[in-house]
Amino acid sequence: MDWRQIWEVVSTPDNVPIVALLFLVPFYTWYAFRQAIANDQLIAIIGSDPGYAKSKYRKTQPWDPKWEREVHTWPYLMRMEFLVAIIITIILMVWSLTLNAPLEEPSNPNVTMNPAKAPWYFLGLQEMLVYFDPWIAGVIMPTLIIVGLMAVPYIDNNPLGNGYYTYRQRRFAIWTFLVGFIGLWVVMIVIGTFIRGPGWMWFWPGQTWDAERVDYAVNRNLDEVFGINGHWLAHLLPASSAPNAAIWARVIFGIFPLAIFFVLAGLLIHKICMMSEFSQKLYKRMSILQLVTMYTFLILMISLPVKILLRLVFTIKYIWVTPWFSI
Amino acid sequence: MADLPPNAPKDPIVTSSFSTPLMICSVLLMITVAWSLWDEMYGLRPWRAYQTRFAKAYATYLDKEVGRQKKLESDVYSAPEYKKLAAEADFLEAAAKAKDDAIAKQIAVLDSQRAAIGDAFKDARGKIGHLVYMLEIVPEKDKSEKESRLKDLNEAKAGTWKVDWPTADGSIEKDKKFTADQLNDTFTSLMAERAKLVAERGDNDAAGKVARAKANVYLSDHLPGLSAAALEGLRTSARDWDETLIQINVNPSGSSINNLGGAGLVDRCQSCHIGTDQKLVPPQLTLTKADLGMAKSNDAPFTSHPEPDLIKTHTLERFGCSPCHGGNGRAIDSVTRGHGRYEHWLWPLYYRENFDAGCQQCHAADMVTDHAEVLNHGRQLYRQRGCIGCHRYQGFDNQDEQLVSARQQITQLGSDKLQDELDIPRLQKLGDNAPDNEAANRYYAQANNLTVSVSRIDAQSAELERRSHTLLEEIKKVGPDLKDARLKLRKEWIPYWIGHTHEFRPTTKMPQFRLADDQVQAIAAFVWQSGITSPVLEHQPAGNATHGKELFEERGCLACHSMGEGANKMGGTFAANLSRVGEKENYDYIVRWVHNPRQRTRPYCPYEKRDLGPEDYAKHNLPYVFDLDHSKCPNDGHELAVQQPTVMPSLRLSIEDARDIASYLITQKHPDASYAAADYMDDPALKPKGEELVKHFGCAGCHEISGLEDEGRIGTELTNEGSKPIERLDFALYTEDAKRGVLPDGKPSIRNGHEVAWFDSKGFFEHKLENPGVYDQGKYHSNPMDALRMPKPNLYEPGDLEALVTFLLGSTDPTLPQEYMYKPQDRRRYVQEGWWVVTKYNCIGCHQIGIGQRSILMDLPMYQAENKQNLPPVLTTEGARVNPEWLKGFLANPSLSTTDTNRNGVRSYLQVRMPTFYLSDDEIRKLVLFFEAMSSQPEPYIQPKPPAITDTERAMARDLFTSPAAPCLKCHATGNAEHDKNAIAPNFLLAKDRLQTPWTTRWITDPAKIIPGTAMPSGLFKRDGDHWVFTGPVPTALQHYTGDQADLLVRYMFNLTPQEQAALVGRTPTSTKSSGNGGN
Repeated sequence: MDWRQIWEVVSTPDNVPIVALLFLVPFYTWYAFRQAIANDQLIAIIGSDPGYAKSKYRKTQPWDPKWEREVHTWPYLMRMEFLVAIIITIILMVWSLTLNAPLEEPSNPNVTMNPAKAPWYFLGLQEMLVYFDPWIAGVIMPTLIIVGLMAVPYIDNNPLGNGYYTYRQRRFAIWTFLVGFIGLWVVMIVIGTFIRGPGWMWFWPGQTWDAERVDYAVNRNLDEVFGINGHWLAHLLPASSAPNAAIWARVIFGIFPLAIFFVLAGLLIHKICMMSEFSQKLYKRMSILQLVTMYTFLILMISLPVKILLRLVFTIKYIWVTPWFSI
Repeated sequence: MADLPPNAPKDPIVTSSFSTPLMICSVLLMITVAWSLWDEMYGLRPWRAYQTRFAKAYATYLDKEVGRQKKLESDVYSAPEYKKLAAEADFLEAAAKAKDDAIAKQIAVLDSQRAAIGDAFKDARGKIGHLVYMLEIVPEKDKSEKESRLKDLNEAKAGTWKVDWPTADGSIEKDKKFTADQLNDTFTSLMAERAKLVAERGDNDAAGKVARAKANVYLSDHLPGLSAAALEGLRTSARDWDETLIQINVNPSGSSINNLGGAGLVDRCQSCHIGTDQKLVPPQLTLTKADLGMAKSNDAPFTSHPEPDLIKTHTLERFGCSPCHGGNGRAIDSVTRGHGRYEHWLWPLYYRENFDAGCQQCHAADMVTDHAEVLNHGRQLYRQRGCIGCHRYQGFDNQDEQLVSARQQITQLGSDKLQDELDIPRLQKLGDNAPDNEAANRYYAQANNLTVSVSRIDAQSAELERRSHTLLEEIKKVGPDLKDARLKLRKEWIPYWIGHTHEFRPTTKMPQFRLADDQVQAIAAFVWQSGITSPVLEHQPAGNATHGKELFEERGCLACHSMGEGANKMGGTFAANLSRVGEKENYDYIVRWVHNPRQRTRPYCPYEKRDLGPEDYAKHNLPYVFDLDHSKCPNDGHELAVQQPTVMPSLRLSIEDARDIASYLITQKHPDASYAAADYMDDPALKPKGEELVKHFGCAGCHEISGLEDEGRIGTELTNEGSKPIERLDFALYTEDAKRGVLPDGKPSIRNGHEVAWFDSKGFFEHKLENPGVYDQGKYHSNPMDALRMPKPNLYEPGDLEALVTFLLGSTDPTLPQEYMYKPQDRRRYVQEGWWVVTKYNCIGCHQIGIGQRSILMDLPMYQAENKQNLPPVLTTEGARVNPEWLKGFLANPSLSTTDTNRNGVRSYLQVRMPTFYLSDDEIRKLVLFFEAMSSQPEPYIQPKPPAITDTERAMARDLFTSPAAPCLKCHATGNAEHDKNAIAPNFLLAKDRLQTPWTTRWITDPAKIIPGTAMPSGLFKRDGDHWVFTGPVPTALQHYTGDQADLLVRYMFNLTPQEQAALVGRTPTSTKSSGNGGN
C-alpha cells in the first residue's frame, strides 16, 4: 500500500472507526498505564507503612488519605456523564455532517470487488481464515472467544484492583488482555485493513497494491513435510482398509504434534503463572475446574500466533489433517 | 506515616470544577447545532446559491430586454400602418358597441331570471323525480298502492313554487307562482333565448374582431420574440424568485428508467441549471453567458439549452437531462455528485467533446443522426477505417454473417430434401404392401405430403439463393482484394507497405500493425504467393497522361480519392490518396481497374470455397464468362462472387479513357522511390508462417484473401463496449497511473482544464486508440503472439480520435425503456435505412442530399464561381422531383442506355460522371425510399395520369416554349450533338418518364427556392390571382389564354415528342454557357 492507496483507504468513511482505533487504543493503553503506575507507587507507600496499613485505608488500595472515600452519584458522577454525553454528541454530529454514508453502485454479481473485505470489525476473523479451516476460524474460534470472555469472572479470583487502575496487582490479567486483544485481535484487524491487498495478498507498507500481482507460494501440511504416506500403516491394517491407510496415518500423525503443543504451551503457561509469589498464591486458591478452564483457553489463544508463525514463516498449512476438519 | 506523593494534593473528584470544560463543550455543541442547521439549509443545497445568483443576473438581463422591447413596441405601435389597422379596429368595435351593450343587458336579465328560479326548479325536479321513482317501484298487481302513489305525484305536480321574479325593467315581482311544469318550461326557454343572444352578439362584433386580429397579426409580424409585458412578467418572477428544488419526474408506463435506480426518471439538474427551465426562460429566449454578464467556465449552468431545436423533439418533461447527458440526476449536494463523476456512479456526465455519445443509445440504428456531427463522424470512421473488419457492431454491415447463415440454411435444406426424397419411395412401397386400404392410404398420403414439402424446400432454396446473390453484391471489404496482389502490385513494395503503412500514405485507411521484420516478410510472402497468377492480364498500350489528368479531375474521381501530398492534397478522404500509386501498381492492372473496378480475375465459389478458373468452365463446355447475369457456379449451381468486393463504382469509361487515366496515375510517384529487393517473397517456407500471422492479425476482416474468405472477425464485439464495467477494461500496468491521473507519457491527465484521473471508459478508449499497444507496455510475453494485436488506426484529422471515442462511449447496453429507442415506423425509417447506403457509396462526395450538407466536389477549386454549373445535381428534393419508378432504373443504369454507356443518362453535358454502382435490388429499394421520404412523398407511389394537352394548347405552349423571353432550348439539351455543345440542362424528352408534375410546376415558377444559385432563371412566371402567368412579353397566341400558363408549359413539356423538339431546335438561339448550378 503506497501513499495514495493509504490515503484512499484511510479516507473512506467506512474506515473512520479503524483509523480512530489506531490512535485511541495506544492512547488509552498509555493513559491507563500512567494511572496504574501512579497508583502502584501510592500502593507501595501505603503498603510499606504499617500506620497506613492499619488505618481505614486498606493496605493494598491506593486511597489518598485526604480524599473522600465515598462520594455521591449526584453531582459527582452525573456531571461527568453529562459532559461525556455532550462530547459524544458533538463528535457524532460533526462526523455525520462531514462524512456521507459510504454508498456504492448496485452490486453486480459478474464483477466482484478485489479485495472483498469484511467490515473492519470482522477483518480479524477474516484474517484468521488464512490460517485455519473456515470451520475453525469462522465458528469454533469466535465461539471460544465469547465463551472465554464469559468465563473470565468465574476464573478470576484475584480480589484486588476493583475500582482503580493498577498494574502490579493485576499483572497476569493485564498481560492476557494485551496479548489477546491488542496483540491478536487489533493487530489482525490492522493487518486485514492495511496489509492485505488485492487477492488477499500480503503487501508491506509502501508496496503498491497491484491487482495484477502474481505470487508463488506453496503451503504444505505438516505430514507432507514428514513424508507420512501410510505405507507402514497399510501393513498393519486389514486389506479392506488398506487404501485408506494414508488418511488414517495422517490422522494419527497429527495428534502427536498437537499433543506436544498442548503440553509445551501448558508448561509455558504454568511457568508464567508461577512467576511471582502473588500469582502462586492465586494459583493455589483456584479450583481444579477453574485451572483447567483457564489453561485450556490460554493454550487455544496461544495457538493462533503459533499457527500464524508456522504459516507465514514455515509455510505449514495444517498440522492435523482429518477427513472432517483440519487444524 | 510515610509521605504521600505530591501529585495528588486534593481529591480531584470532589474539588475540581467542571465549569470550563462544560462551558467549552456547550459552546461547541451550539456551534455544531448551528452548523447542522446551516448544512441543512445551504451546505447540502448548493443550488440555492446558484438560483439566487441566476435570478439576480436574469432580472438585470430582463431589465435591458424589457427596455429594448418597449422601445421596439412603441415604434411599431406608432407606425402608420399599425395606426391605420388599429383605428379601423377601434372604429368597428365602437360601431358595434351600442347594440352589444343592449344585448349584454338582455343577457344579464336572463341570467338573473335563471338564478331566481334555480332553487325552485331544482327543488321541483328533485321532488317529482323522487315521486316518480316511488311510483315505478310498486309492482303492477298492487293496484291500490299504485294509485295512491300516482295521486301523490299528481298532487305534487299541481302544487306551486314561489319565486321572486326579476323583470326586464329591473323591478322584482314578489312571490310569483310556478307549477313544476312551468318551472321546467321557463328554464328551457331561458336557456334557449340566452344562446340565441350570445350568437347574435358574436355576429354583431365579428367585423371588429377580424380587424383587431389583423392589427395583432401586424404586431406579431413586426415584433419578434416575447412582448414587453411577457418579459416584464418574467422579470417579476425572477425578482420574486423563491429558491425551490426543480425536479423532472417521469414514470414511463410499464417500464422503468434503470440507470436512475429503477423507479423512473427523477432529474433535479435544473435546480442548478436553472436557465434550462422553460417556465422561467421560455423557448423564445436563448440565454448565453454573455447575456447574463458571466464569462467564467463554471458559469455555464445558467445558460438555456444551446440547441432549442433538439429540445423541441426531446422535451424535458419526457426525457429529462440525465438519460442523454449521463450524470446522477438525483444528486444535488455537490457538482461532483450531480455530474456523477465519482467512482460509484456508473453513468458519469459525458465530457463536452463526447456529448453526442448520449444520442447513440437510442439512435443506435442510425448511420446519420441530426445534430450529432461528432457521433456521425465517429460512426463513419468506424465503418471506413475498417474497425468493422475486426469488431462486430450490431447494425453495422453484417452481410457476411447473413451470407454464412444463408449458406448454412441452403446446406441444411439440401440435406432435408435428400432425406425426403429417400423417404418417398420407401413410404410408397409400404403403401403397396400395406395389409388394408386404410393403412395404404395413410402411407400414400404421407408420401404425397413429402413430395409437396420437397417442392416447398426448392422454393425456399431458390429464395435463399436470390438472397445470397444480393448479399454477395452487397458485401464490400474495406481494403482491396489481395488475391490480385500478384497481378497488381510491385513485389518489393508489399513488405515496405506493411511495415511503413502511414509513412507511405499518411491518409490511408489501413492501420499500422506492430510487426517485427521477419513477420513483415512472412506476411508479404504469403500475400504474394497466395495471389492469383492466371489468367494473365491483357497487355495494354500506353495512353495519353495529360488527357488522363483532365479526365481524372473532370469525371469526379476526386469526390472520393485525393491527389497530392501535404498542403497540396485535394479531394475526398473516402478512398485512397493516389499520390504515390505509380510506385506500387502495375499499369495493366490500373487500366482494368479504372475501366471496371468490379472485374474479378477469377470468380469465387463460396460453396466449394475456392476461386474458379477457365478450366472449371471448360469442363462444362461453358465460356469463361461471369458477371451479375452469369453468377451461377458451373460445378454446383450456387451463387458465385463475381465482383470485386469494393465500393468503387464503374465510371463507364471507354477503354481508351481508362488507359489515359491509368497512364496519368502511373506517373504519380516520388522520383527517387526505390525498394529493397525482396527475394524471400518467393520462399515457400515463409508461406505457412505468413498465413498463420495473417489469420492472427485478422487481415481477412478487411481484405479478400485466398483461403481465408470465411475468416470471422477477430476482435471483440463493441456494440455495448461503452457500458463495459471498468474492471473489465484492462489498463494493465497503467491501472495505478490511470487512477492517479498520470498519462502513459508521464504527463498529468487534463480534462476541462482540471487534472483528473483517467481510470474510466473514456480514458481507456482514448489511449487505446491513440496507441493500441499501450496496455502492453512493460508486459512480458513468452510468446510474442500473445501481445495485443490491435493495429494503430490512422486517425490523422484532429477530431477523429474524439469522434471514435464518442461513438464507443455511446455504445451502451441501453438502460432506457424500449419506447425511448429511435425505431420509427413511418417514413423516417426509410431515411434511417437510406443513410446507410448513401454513406456506404459516398453519394455525398458528389451530391448535396441534406439541407446544409456540403459535398466534397463543392469545395474543390475547379468547381468554384462560374464553374459551379459543372457540379453534379443537388438532390435535396429528388424524391419529389422524379418518378421513383424511373429513379429505380436510373440507379441501376445511370447511362439510361444499354448500348451507349459512356455518357451520363440525364445530364449528358456534365463532365463529371454518375457512375454505375451495381447496387443490389435491396440497396436500390432503400435509396429510392430514402429520397421519397426525404421529400415527404407518399408511399407507395401511384403513377398519376399523364397530363393531357389539346392541339390548340400545344400551339400556344410552343410559342411560350420558344419565346425569346424564355428560350428553353437555349440551355436544355436535345440530343442533337451540335446543339448540345452549349447545353447546361437536361433534355425535355426525359421529363415524361422522369419528373413529377407538381414538382416541375414548382420548379419552373421558382427554381431558386428549390436549389439556390441554380442556372435556371427564376421569375419566369408571376402570380395573377389563382394562377401563374408568364412574366416576359406574352406571345400573341397566349394573349387571351385564361388558364395557368406555367401548368400549360409543364403539360407541353410532358407531351413533347422527339420530332417536335428536333423541329424547334432551329427556332431557339443557342448560347454560351452561363453561370450557376445546373439544377433540374
